[in-house]
Amino acid sequence: MADQVDFERDAMQYTRQLYSAAMRMTRNPADAEDLVQETYLKAYRAYHTFQEGTNLKAWLYRILTNTYINKYRKDSRRPSEVDLGTVEDMYLYRRLGSEESAEAARTTEDRVLDGLVESDIKQAVEELPESFRMPVLLADLEGFSYKEIAEILDIPIGTVMSRLHRGRKAMQKRLWGFAKQRGLLPEDAKRP
Amino acid sequence: MRTDCDEALENLYLYLDSELDSVSSARIRSHLDDCRGCGPQFDFEGRLKAVVKERLHEDVPDAVVDRVRAAIREESAADLQ
Repeated sequence: MADQVDFERDAMQYTRQLYSAAMRMTRNPADAEDLVQETYLKAYRAYHTFQEGTNLKAWLYRILTNTYINKYRKDSRRPSEVDLGTVEDMYLYRRLGSEESAEAARTTEDRVLDGLVESDIKQAVEELPESFRMPVLLADLEGFSYKEIAEILDIPIGTVMSRLHRGRKAMQKRLWGFAKQRGLLPEDAKRP
Repeated sequence: MRTDCDEALENLYLYLDSELDSVSSARIRSHLDDCRGCGPQFDFEGRLKAVVKERLHEDVPDAVVDRVRAAIREESAADLQ
């Protein structure tokens, strides 16, 4: 079946990305695998409705996201908001910027960026409330445009921007905590 | 009065996410070249974005790809019957 050959050639190139996103959504390998497989099967069955020349990757992500929301989401009781009352923009940068010289500041920044390990970053994203986590994943992991994210999540572009903004702030606040735990910060920044 | 710095910082994420038109983007870029305050902030946020992207990635196990492929072929074979 020609369809199947085309589909495999065009769609299977995104398995790594879709699996990464699925891992951050479901938070475990077994569910991530099921989610990716189900996404591909649904996409294959609906492939005749896909308009050639439009964005295949975004189309696959839309199916992934909807499948996740309908079937795998287990955290509907988790809070959908985080308290960002006192979290300012560029939270992390501002807290690293207390050094006297530009070089010292740069050294601290490098240490923090090098020292935050994969599990810190993953956990910071996974702990985000879902409404923030999805835009952050789509923008920062996948590099989708705001317009594409709006289409994938079926929300207005202004909502994408505000959730992305808030999600990134919350993530930075969490990363600050990890940096502190790992002793990556200068002594004076450790004081409460 | 709004300064060039205010304008640049308001647009920091739009700039890093490549959401600005080429004129606005060029204006910010030239401001960053001159400004000792904004340059490092943009630089840090840009580097953080890259670190997040790199460390969020997951290698998909070959077995998962094989199973997806097999499922599609099975579906395709079922269609033909």
